[in-house]
Parts: sequence; structure tokens; C-alpha cells
Amino acid sequence: MSDKKKIEIRDLTKIYGDGVEVRALDGVDLDIEKGEFLAIIGPSGSGKSTLLNMIGILDTPTSGTILLDGIDITTASQRQRSKIRNQKLGFIFQYHHLLPDFNAIENVMMPLLINGIKKSKAKKIACEMLEEVGLYDRANHRPNQLSGGQNQRVAIARALANNPDIVIGDEPTGNLDSKSSDIIYDLLRKLNKEHDQTFILVTHDERMAEKTDRIIRLVDGKIVENSKVE
Amino acid sequence: MYELFIAIRHLTSRRRQTVLSVIGIGLAVMILMVSQASIVGLNQVLYTSIVDKIPHVIIKPGPDEDHIYLYNSFVEDIKNIDGVIGVSPVLFGQATFEYKSHSRNVIMQGIHVDDHDSVLGINGYITHGSFRDLEMSHNSVVLGDALADKLDVKIDDLIDASFPQAYPATLKVVGIYDSGTPQDESLAFTSLSTARDFFDVSSVVNSILIRVDDPDTAHLVSDSINNPGVVASSWMETNPEILQLSKLKSISNIILMGLIIIIASFSMVSTIFMMVMGKTKEIGMLMAMGASRRSISVIFLLESGIMGFIGPVLGVAVGILICLQIGSITMDMGEGSFGGESAFPFIVRIRDAVVIVLFTFILNLLGGIIPARRASTLDPVEALSSE
Ligand SMILES: Nc1ncnc2c1ncn2[C@@H]1O[C@H](COP(=O)(O)OP(=O)(O)OP(=O)(O)O)[C@@H](O)[C@H]1O
Ligand SMILES: [Mg+2]
Repeated sequence: MSDKKKIEIRDLTKIYGDGVEVRALDGVDLDIEKGEFLAIIGPSGSGKSTLLNMIGILDTPTSGTILLDGIDITTASQRQRSKIRNQKLGFIFQYHHLLPDFNAIENVMMPLLINGIKKSKAKKIACEMLEEVGLYDRANHRPNQLSGGQNQRVAIARALANNPDIVIGDEPTGNLDSKSSDIIYDLLRKLNKEHDQTFILVTHDERMAEKTDRIIRLVDGKIVENSKVE
Repeated sequence: MYELFIAIRHLTSRRRQTVLSVIGIGLAVMILMVSQASIVGLNQVLYTSIVDKIPHVIIKPGPDEDHIYLYNSFVEDIKNIDGVIGVSPVLFGQATFEYKSHSRNVIMQGIHVDDHDSVLGINGYITHGSFRDLEMSHNSVVLGDALADKLDVKIDDLIDASFPQAYPATLKVVGIYDSGTPQDESLAFTSLSTARDFFDVSSVVNSILIRVDDPDTAHLVSDSINNPGVVASSWMETNPEILQLSKLKSISNIILMGLIIIIASFSMVSTIFMMVMGKTKEIGMLMAMGASRRSISVIFLLESGIMGFIGPVLGVAVGILICLQIGSITMDMGEGSFGGESAFPFIVRIRDAVVIVLFTFILNLLGGIIPARRASTLDPVEALSSE
């Protein structure tokens, strides 16, 4: 057991209010440790995506703090947010969100290029990443020439390209059949072990959640279960 | 510079829209280039054919004077002014010419033939006889062709010249000229001494005409002449309508063409706008990957910048080709001051080409700010979940 706290969430609240007030998150406290493989589950509308977007600094909370390596990211400047997103975070969404005009390898290179890494070096790293997700032979295919599962694996390679500390996935297998889901899950688990990165996954799939280290259950914006998986 | 990488890919992936936008801008710029070259060319024709035929500076006696005295040393001074290439002292006045039953009121101009030729190139207009003969024999005259027709005279005929307060004289026709202007009906040349005897004056003139090597600098020459008892004015002052006309034409051309370019740029900006709308999700993903808002707007500014540069460069190039092509076809323009075999006078100035390209480029960049701003201010969460 490591006592290195990667992420410390304190009293996090997000209220959407256009007329009717919606408490998407309601006083969430959560600590996540380095290298953890975590599942967030809960009914639809319980605030899972909202929480993940906060951790990914894509969205700002109404109140509360999120410390990432001891730094409060909720008050960071636009510039710092972009930089943290680029260097410390990797995103996987339900839809792969690959750039349709670029082939697989270029898509994987993109976070590296944004990070200011030279094209030749970015290409080398992207090749390795594609190899790791088993798609090296599809490097020059565009998203519309790949299957849903393959695109999702390219998206994973992209999320991991900058060797981020934290990988967050919002229903990364939500669009896939169970066989492809298993492949993706096993891949994520393997990468988590190899790179000692923190993985936070939102899922509807209880079976998949059972295979993680810890399950967080949200209901109505509150954590109602926080249990280690045996 | 991944922004450029993405911008170029966006443009090349939507080849048809990109090409259409570039063609739109290019066509507008091409029209502007051709029209500008023709305006500049026409202005040049106006210059060479009109300004060339008038004195660039005219010196007249001051308000209280009838004549310019001691003009010989004055003329020498003027010849020493920078840019002056011809000076002609002139004594003119009205006269009535009679031949048989015909009679006309004319302007009689006493000149030194060589001096006057150096200012107005009169020797080129002669059709019968010669200007030089004016100085060979006293009481000789050269008439405009229209005037000779009206009086029904030919070379060697003798005309009776008279006027109140003038000494009547009999003048022998030694030449007929055709300048192609209305003055051919009313202007007759004699030598200075013939004119002096006729008008009964001593060694004076009543105007001095000047030619300068660059007509655009005529006002500088006229400004530098400020002797007492005389008034100097440049052709810009005596014939302001020439400049006004060409300026008006240029301005109306610029306004019209500016509007065309703005419309073309507008369509390009809307292309970029469509691009941004269609790429909302991608923009959200780029933001999630850590692209800064600045980088997002740079991507779309680059796109409008690239199209807004390639379009005008191609347009100007094609425009210049068109000018050269049309400009090389000669056609018969008929009679008159612009007559003869000539091609349409396109003048392509590099300065115009550069200004047109820069103007269009900057306009497109400015227009591109709108969609670029829109892209860079998207909310990443909303963008990613958009339909
Ligand atoms: N932009 C928004 N404006 C208003 N309300 C919002 C907005 N985004 C989310 N909500 C509301 O916040 C609550 C939490 O939404 P969230 O997307 O986090 O749910 P979720 O747990 O991810 O659900 P699902 O499993 O369906 O994806 C919901 O009630 C939702 O309607
Ligand atoms: Mg969700």
C-alpha cells in the first residue's frame, strides 16, 4: 500500500442552474493513490461524467477543491490547465473522438506535437504506442477505415502517448460488444500494471468494475460506496 | 508548429470547398488587378496625349501688367531650373483674318519656332509647308488645317490681317498644321517680330510657356518662379480637370473593387465558419489533449490566412497574364487624339499587385478572426458532447 496521494478531492460540488437547480455533484470527498485502477459506477445522471470532467480539468466546480500532486487545479489559469491536460492527463471517451482527417499514427502523435515534441521523435513514440495496443500494422489507416474497437485502441494509444500520470476514461467500452470490451479492459489493465499510471474509469458494466482495484458508487451526486475489490 | 499541420490537413481534406473558396477570392482579385491595370494605363494615355500637348507651366504678366518685360534674361534663368527642358516666350493677341470673301477671328501667336517646338513639339503637326519659313520671311503665317479650310486658303496665299489698335498687315501662308485639337480652327502662328509689328509693341512678350521632363513635378517648377510682375501656374492649376478625372476614376474603381473583394472574403469566412461548426467535437478533443485556446484560434486563422494568400496570389498572376494577353492585341482605334493602331494600354505595376495581395490577405485574416474566436471560446465539455 502506497500512501502517496495522487488526487485529493474535497467537498466538491457542482450545481447546474438554469431556473431549476441541479446538484450534479454534492460534497464529494475522494482520495486516489498513484497507480490505482479505479471504477466509478452509478445510475445514469448520478454525476459520474461530471466528476470525471472535474478531475480532467475540462470543467470547473461550483465549490470545493481538487489537488493534483498537491496543486489546486480548480484555480489554475487557462494556460496551466492546458499544460496539465497535455502532460499529466490522458483522456478516453465513449466515442473515440479521433481526428477524422488524420491517420492512426498521426492521431497518436497529436498530444506529443501539442507538447512541443519534434515530429520525428513523436512518430517514434507513436509507433511504440500503436505497437502496445496491437495496431502497428494499421498505422496509416484513417478512423473511417478502422473498426470501433480498433479506433478505441488508437484512442487509448493517444491517451497514453505523453506518458500521463492519470488516465481517465468515460465509458471507454460503452460502444463496444463484450468481446471488444474485454480486449480493451485487458489492455488498460496491462498498461496500468506496466506504467504504474493511475486509471479512473466510469463504467456501466458491473462485471468490468469487479475487475478493478476499487469501486466508487455515485448516487445523486454523492458517493454512497467506496470499496476495495477483493 | 502542429497548428499549421492541422490547418493544412483541414484544407487538403476538404479539397473541393478549399478550391472553391480560393477560386472565389482569386477571381475577385483577378478582376481587381485587370481593372487597376486598365485604369493606370488609361491615366497614362491621358497624360501622354493630353498633358503632353499642353504647356506644363505658363507664365503670365502680373495682375496690373499687360506684358512681360526684359524676358530674355528671365528665359535664361528659367532654363537653368532643374527639370525644365523647353522654354518658349510668346506674344499673342486677337486678329481678324480675311481672304477673299472669308473672314475669321483668330488668336495670333508670335513664337520662336525652335523654342516653341521644344515646349509643344509643333513641328510634328505640320502637314504642308514648314514652321521654319516663319523666320525666313517677315509677315508669314502658319494656320491650323480647320482654319485654312474655313478661309479656303492654300500655301502661298496672302491673307489680310487686321484688328482695332493693330497695324494691318498682309500675311503669306507658309504652312498648315494639324494638331488634332479644336485649336486648329482658331490658332495661327507667326514669328515674334511679325507679331510685335502687328500688335505695335516693343521687345516684350505676354506669356512664357515651359516644358518639364516629368509633368508630375510641374508644380514644383511653377512654385520656384516668383519673380515680381509675373504669375506662374502649372498645368495642374490651369487644367485641374485632368487630375480630378483620373483621381475620380481611381477612387470609384477602388470602391467598386473593394466591395467585390469584401464579398469574396465574406464567402471565405463563411467557409471557415462552416469548418468550425463541423469540427466542434474535434476542437473539444484538441482542447482535452491540451491544445491551448490560442492554438485553436491559430489553426483557423492559418486556414483563412492560407486561402487568403494563395487566392490573391493566383488571382494577381492570372490577372497579369490577362493584361499581357489583351495588351498585346492591337486594334484600329480610328481618328482622333487616341487614334491609330494601338493596343489597350494596360499598365501592370508591381506596387499595385503587392497592395492588392496584401489588402486581400489582411481582409481575410481579419474576417478569419470571427470563426477563430468562436472556435477558441468553445467549452470543451459541451464541444465533446455536441451532436
Ligand atoms: N451542462 C449541463 N447543464 C445542466 N445540467 C447538466 C449539464 N451537464 C450535466 N447535467 C446534469 O447533471 C447531472 C449529472 O450528469 P452526468 O452527465 O454527470 O451524469 P452521468 O452519471 O455521467 O450519467 P450517464 O451515465 O447517463 O452518462 C444530470 O442530472 C445532468 O442532467
Ligand atoms: Mg456520463
